[in-house]
Amino acid sequence: MRDLWMSLPATAQDAALALALVAPGLLLGLWVMRGLRPLPLVGAMLRRFSWVNGLFVLLIAVSVGLGVGLLAQERGLRQGSARAAEKFDLIVAAPGSEVTVMLASVYLQPSDMALITGAQYAEIAATEGVALAAPIAFGDSHAGAPVVGTTADFVTHLAGPLAAGRSFATAQEAVAGAFAPVDVGDSFTPAHGHGAMAEGDAHAGHAYTVTGRMAATGSPWDRAILVPVEGVWEVHGLASGHAPGTDRIGPPFDAEYMPGTPAVLVRATELWGNYALRSRFTRSDMMAFFPGTVLAQLHGLMRDIRSAMSLMAGLTQVLVALSVLIGLMILVRLIARSLALLRAIGAPLRFVFAVVWSYCAALILSGAALGLALGFVAARGLSALVTARTDVLVTAGLGWPELHLVAGFVSVTLLMALLPAWLAVRRPLLSDLRT
Amino acid sequence: MRAPDLRVEGLRVQSREGRVLLAIDHLALPGGQSLALTGASGAGKSTFLHVLSGLVRPHAGRVIWGETDIAALSEDARAAFRRDRLGLVFQDCHLFEELSALGNAALASAFAPRAARAPIRAAAARWLAGLGLGQAGARPVDSFSGGERQRIAVARALAGDPPVILADEPTAALDRANADALGADLVRLAQQDGRGLIVVTHDAGLAVRMTRQLRLADGRIAEDSHA
Repeated sequence: MRDLWMSLPATAQDAALALALVAPGLLLGLWVMRGLRPLPLVGAMLRRFSWVNGLFVLLIAVSVGLGVGLLAQERGLRQGSARAAEKFDLIVAAPGSEVTVMLASVYLQPSDMALITGAQYAEIAATEGVALAAPIAFGDSHAGAPVVGTTADFVTHLAGPLAAGRSFATAQEAVAGAFAPVDVGDSFTPAHGHGAMAEGDAHAGHAYTVTGRMAATGSPWDRAILVPVEGVWEVHGLASGHAPGTDRIGPPFDAEYMPGTPAVLVRATELWGNYALRSRFTRSDMMAFFPGTVLAQLHGLMRDIRSAMSLMAGLTQVLVALSVLIGLMILVRLIARSLALLRAIGAPLRFVFAVVWSYCAALILSGAALGLALGFVAARGLSALVTARTDVLVTAGLGWPELHLVAGFVSVTLLMALLPAWLAVRRPLLSDLRT
Repeated sequence: MRAPDLRVEGLRVQSREGRVLLAIDHLALPGGQSLALTGASGAGKSTFLHVLSGLVRPHAGRVIWGETDIAALSEDARAAFRRDRLGLVFQDCHLFEELSALGNAALASAFAPRAARAPIRAAAARWLAGLGLGQAGARPVDSFSGGERQRIAVARALAGDPPVILADEPTAALDRANADALGADLVRLAQQDGRGLIVVTHDAGLAVRMTRQLRLADGRIAEDSHA
C-alpha cells in the first residue's frame, strides 16, 4: 500500500488526500439527504435571515481566508526566496557568516564584509572546471537602488538576453535591473553607501550612463543597477583590475591590480563540479557555500517555527470550528418556529434533521468557498506587499495545502453540524410553535 | 377517503406541576362531522386539539382515530399520521415568508415520498384556486393580507387530502368579514368531501356553523350540544 502510494505522482497524492479529507463531509451529506428534498426550504430560511446568515458566512470566510492566506503566503515566500537564489550556484567570500554573505550577495542586503583579494580571485578564476567567476562588488547606490559591480557575463547569467539596449562596454556604463529607477540613456552619479547613511557626493565627478535594461528575474536584482566592477573600483579611487594603460573591462583581471571584491559567484562547467569547487575553496582564508543550501538550512530552522505556527493555526481552526458550532446552535434557534411547523404538519424527524444540517452546511460551504477566495486575494495582496518591500518576487496562489486545509475544515464542521441538527429535532415542539 | 370516527377515552393531561389540564372521560365523534371546541381561555381547548393531533401526548387515556390510537404511537408515527390523515390550521398561519403562496400550500411535498410530490403540488394549486387565490400562487406570502394568508394555510392543510381538518382559532386574527368568509370556506370544503372538521374557536359565528359544539371548562366537557 505504501509502495503504491509512493509510486503515485505528487498531484495524484494531493488530489487523493483532498478527496479523503472532503469525503467524510460529502458522504455525510449524501447520507443525511438521501431521498429528501430540503433545499427549497433551506433556501427560504437562508433568505429569511439573510443579514444574520450573511454575517455568519463572512465570519467563517474570514477565519478560513486567514488560514488559507497565511499558508499560501508562507509557501510563496519560501518559493520566491528560493527562486531568487537559484542563479547563485556557488558563492566564494572571505571567511565569515554564510548567511550574511548570502543576504548581501543574493538579496542585496548591504553589509560590511571582508574582501576576496586579487590573488584569491585569480586562483578561483583559473581553477579547472570554473566556467564563470564573477566578482560581486556592492556598497554604492543610486535613488535607493543598489549599484553593484560585476561582469557582463554575470548579467547574462543572471537574466539572459537584455530586455532593452546593450550591456556595458566601458567602466562608465551601466545596465539597469528590470525595475531599477533609471532609464536607458540616463546618467547618474552613485552615492556611497545605502539608505539614509548614503553619501550622495562621495563619488562626485564620476557618472555612469545606462545602456541597457535586464529582463525581470524575480529577485532583488531587478531593482539594482549593474556596472562593470572596474567602475566600482574606479569611483572608489582604487586600481582598475587591469594593468595601467589597459583599456578594457571584464576578466581576466590582473591580480596585482585587482583591489578585491566582497564575493565571487562561481559556476562550474558541470553541475557536479560545484561540489568539488566548494570543497576546494572552503579553507582558512576563504569560504565557499551554496546559497540554496544555506537557504534550505534557514527554511529548516523556520520549519520548527512553521510547525509551531501550524499547530497554532490548527488550534485556531479548532476554536473557529467550535465557534461555528456555537454560532450554528444559536442560528438554529432563529428557525426553530419554522422547524416546529414542519414537525406539526407531519414532517419526519429525519427531514427536519436534514433541513437543519443542510442549512448549516450551506452556511459552512458558502463561508469556506468565500474564505478560499478571500485567502487568495489576501495572499495576492500580501505577496505584492512583500515583493515591494523585499524585491523578492513572491507569487502566492492557492495550492493543494490550502485546499487540504479547507477540505478538512469543511468535513469537520459538517460533522459538527450534526449536533445542532440533533438538538433541533429534540426541541419542544409546542413551545417553538407558539414562539 | 372516508373520514375516521374519533373516540376519546379516559383522557388526562397534566401540567408539569401536576395540575389537570384536560380530563375527558369519553367522547365520540362520527367521521365527517364538524365539531367546535369552545370555552374560556385556559379551558383546555387548544390542549385538546394538540392531543387530538398528536402534538401532545396525554398522560393517560386513548385518542382513537378509526382504528389508530394516536396516543400510543411514537413521535415519528404520530408525525406520519398527521401527514397522512390530518390537516392542521393554526391561529397565526405559520407561513414560510420567503416562499410563494404555492410553495407554502405545497409545503408537504418537500418531505413527501417522491411519487406523492406532484399530486400534492397539483392539489395545493387547486385548493388555492378554490379559495380565490388561483392567480396569486407565485407571489411571496408576505404580500398577502391576513385573510389571504389564512386561506393559504387552509390550502396547505388540504393539499395532502386529509380526511380530517383540525383548526386552532383560524379566524382569531381576522376581521369580521374575513372571519365569516373563511369560516364558510372551511365548512364548505369539509362538507363537500365528507371531511371531519374540528375547530377551536372563540368566534360564536364560526362555532354555530359546526354540527356539534363542545364547551370546555377547566379541562372538562361542560356542555355538549348538537345543531
